[in-house]
Order: sequence, then C-alpha cells, then structure tokens
Amino acid sequence: MARSASSSAAAVWAILRKECRSEWRTRYGLNAALLFAITSLAGVSFAVGPLGDRTDILSGMLWVVLLFAALASLSHAFVREIEGHTLTLLRLVATPTAIGLGKLLFNLIFLAVIEAVTVPLFLLLMGGPPPKWGRFALVLILGSVALAAACTLVSAIIAQTRGRGALFAGASLPLLLPVLAAAVKGTRAQWQGGTVGAEASILIAYAAAVFGVSLLLYDHLWED
Amino acid sequence: MIARGLLFVWIAVWMVLGFVWAPVVPVLGDTTRVLYFHIPAAWVTVLALAWSMIQSVLYLAKRRMEHDDHAAAAAELGILFCIVATISGSLWAKAMWGSYWNWDPRETSIFFLLLIYAAYLALRSAVDGEERRARLSAIYSAAAFVAVPFLMFIVPRIYDSLHPSPILPSPREKGSMDPRIRTVFLAMLVGFTALFWWLLSLRTRFARVERRRLDAAAAGA
Repeated sequence: MARSASSSAAAVWAILRKECRSEWRTRYGLNAALLFAITSLAGVSFAVGPLGDRTDILSGMLWVVLLFAALASLSHAFVREIEGHTLTLLRLVATPTAIGLGKLLFNLIFLAVIEAVTVPLFLLLMGGPPPKWGRFALVLILGSVALAAACTLVSAIIAQTRGRGALFAGASLPLLLPVLAAAVKGTRAQWQGGTVGAEASILIAYAAAVFGVSLLLYDHLWED
Repeated sequence: MIARGLLFVWIAVWMVLGFVWAPVVPVLGDTTRVLYFHIPAAWVTVLALAWSMIQSVLYLAKRRMEHDDHAAAAAELGILFCIVATISGSLWAKAMWGSYWNWDPRETSIFFLLLIYAAYLALRSAVDGEERRARLSAIYSAAAFVAVPFLMFIVPRIYDSLHPSPILPSPREKGSMDPRIRTVFLAMLVGFTALFWWLLSLRTRFARVERRRLDAAAAGA
C-alpha cells in the first residue's frame, strides 16, 4: 500500500514535470493565456475606467477577469493530449488518477503565473485602494485552488467531446458559480475592512469536495 | 390509462379549487395562487435533478443503459419544470418586489440549476457514441452534484433573501397557513410529482423501444 502510494506520488510528479517541460518548450499555451487575460483586463479597464473606491465593483471585475482567463486556458492541458494524439501513450504509463492530479497541479501553477501578472496590473489599472494583503492573498489562493480543481475535472470531460472550447466555458460555469460568489464576497469584505472567515471556509470546503469527487471520478474518464 | 386520466382530473380539479375555494393571504393578495404552481414546479426541479444524479452515479457503478435513460429523461423534464418555476417566480417577483429579476439568492440558485441542466444536455449532444456519452455525462452530473448543496443551502443562508420560506414552508409558517390553502398546495404537490413520474416513464420507455429498434436494425444490416 505504502509502495503504491509512493509510486503514484512519483507518477504525479512525473506528469507534472512532463507538463511543465512540454509547456515550456513552446509556451504557446501560456503566451495565449497571458495575452487573453491582459486583453480582457484592458477591455474591462477601458470600458469602465478607474473605479477608485468602488470596491464592490472592483472585486466583481477582478474575479470576472480571472474567471475569463481560467476558462480560456485551463482546458489546454487535456485538449493538448487529444489534439496531439498522445493520450493513449500517457494512459499506458500512468493511472487516470495520477494523470488527473498531475494536470491539476500543472493548472494551479499555470493559474498562479497568470495571476502574478494579471492581479498587480488589475490593481494598477483600476486604481483601487490598497488591499489588506494577507486576507486578499488568502481569498485569491483559495479561490484559485477551487477554480483549478473544478476546471481540471471539467476539461478532462470536455476534451473528449465535439466543440470543446465553447462547451468548456458553458459546462464549467455551473461548477464555478459557488467559487465566484464566495471569492467576490471575500474580496469585497477585505477591501471594506471585514473578515473573510466565512468565505474562506466555503472555498476550502468546496475545493475539498470537488477534489474528493475528482479522485473518485478520474478512474471512469477513459475506458474506450 | 385510467391512472393518467385520474391524474389529469386531479390536477384540473385542484387548480380550479385553488381559485374558487382556497382564500388569499392578505399581503400577497391574488398572487397567493402562484404557490400552487411555483413551489410544486420548483420541487419537481430539485427532485428531477436529484433523480438524474442518482441514476448517473448508478450508471457509473453498474453500467446499465437504463440508468442513463433515466438520467437523461429526468434532466430533460427537469429543465422544463425549472423554466416553469423560474418564469412563475419571476412574474411573482415583478408583482411583489417590483422587478422581474434582482439576483436574490433564491433566483441565483434556480438560475444555477437551469445552468447545470443546460450544460448537462449540451454535453450530451456533443459526445459521439452511446457508451461514452453515458459515461461522460454521468461523470459531469456527479461533479455538478457537489456544487448543488453549496448554492441551494449554504449561500442563501449566509446572504439575506427576500424570498418567503426556503423551498418548503417551515413548521412555524405551516401553523399560520390556512388549512384550505395547505390542502390545495399539498394536492398540487402530489399532482406535479405524479405528472413528473408519468412523463419520466413515458420518456424512458420510449428510449428503450428506440434502442431495441436500433439494435434490431444493426443486427439486420
């Protein structure tokens, strides 16, 4: 049991390294996603202008931009395998759960890179008051984990369908609405000097629930 | 056949009684009667979603196509009742709150259910191959199941809602409900639920016949 656990941890690590390496080789996924995130940020910023102390709108806009960036890019990890016809080989060398977990970790790193560029730029362009960094980062991190967990599972499903891109956004949104609601409320609360405990616990519970269900469901993903 | 006729008579009679026999609640006025359509439709929406998700999980466990038929049929009927509940609620909101839509937590949750149903059916239509369609949509359904309690029960309790009594009247409010209103309401609840089961059995029987026909055509070819 211990041996299988350690070998699957090694498999997850190997998948993650493989993902990072093949992404770094071309970087087209990352470049496209960054460009998309900055474009949607510029679109939002241009459309509404600097918002100053309208923190209620700011927190909504921030998560809309992050949601768009996630919906545009997080299906990439699975779709790339289908389009490159490499999934069969991958399935030969690793269990579905290891593949799913490896891709989830990769998506988390991917999202973190996008946010590292987008969030500072957002704060700069939209002219909001400085956030309470600790609480802001807490909501941001937990929201991203929940976002990545839900998106990775849905992307594994939609990679095997027709019309993947459009379907990914549509099929992910129902799973992302609880994340969006809690993350927006939490971001708003920290700006207005409130606590974020309730929102943080919703996000943790949700991420844990999606993650747990993912572990059960990855086994059923590929059988043909 | 007789049961179906009785069901139609049952719903029609209670619908009429809801207008002529049951009184109206003072503040709500004539809008009281939305109770007899809106809540049963919302109840069937939740019931259909739960049924669809249970059948999806059963499909993943047992791999029998009948479970997939039930999951798909319940989702198709669910979206129908969900639209009825949404529209009747929205009309009522216009009459009582002055606006058709204002993202009250209850409105958010019904919209969320509508999204799940729509995404589930869109996913089904985008997968080739019967077995793969059944498997992938069952996985999606099981994943969406996780999100349901969060939006249905947690979010509306954390954030204030104007919506009267969550989902079903609480015991406190039941005491204040006029017995005639309660009778019509419960009768309509029974009627809507029976209507759902009847339509579900029609839809799944149709799917079974359709599959048998396709199998026979495949065997003959």
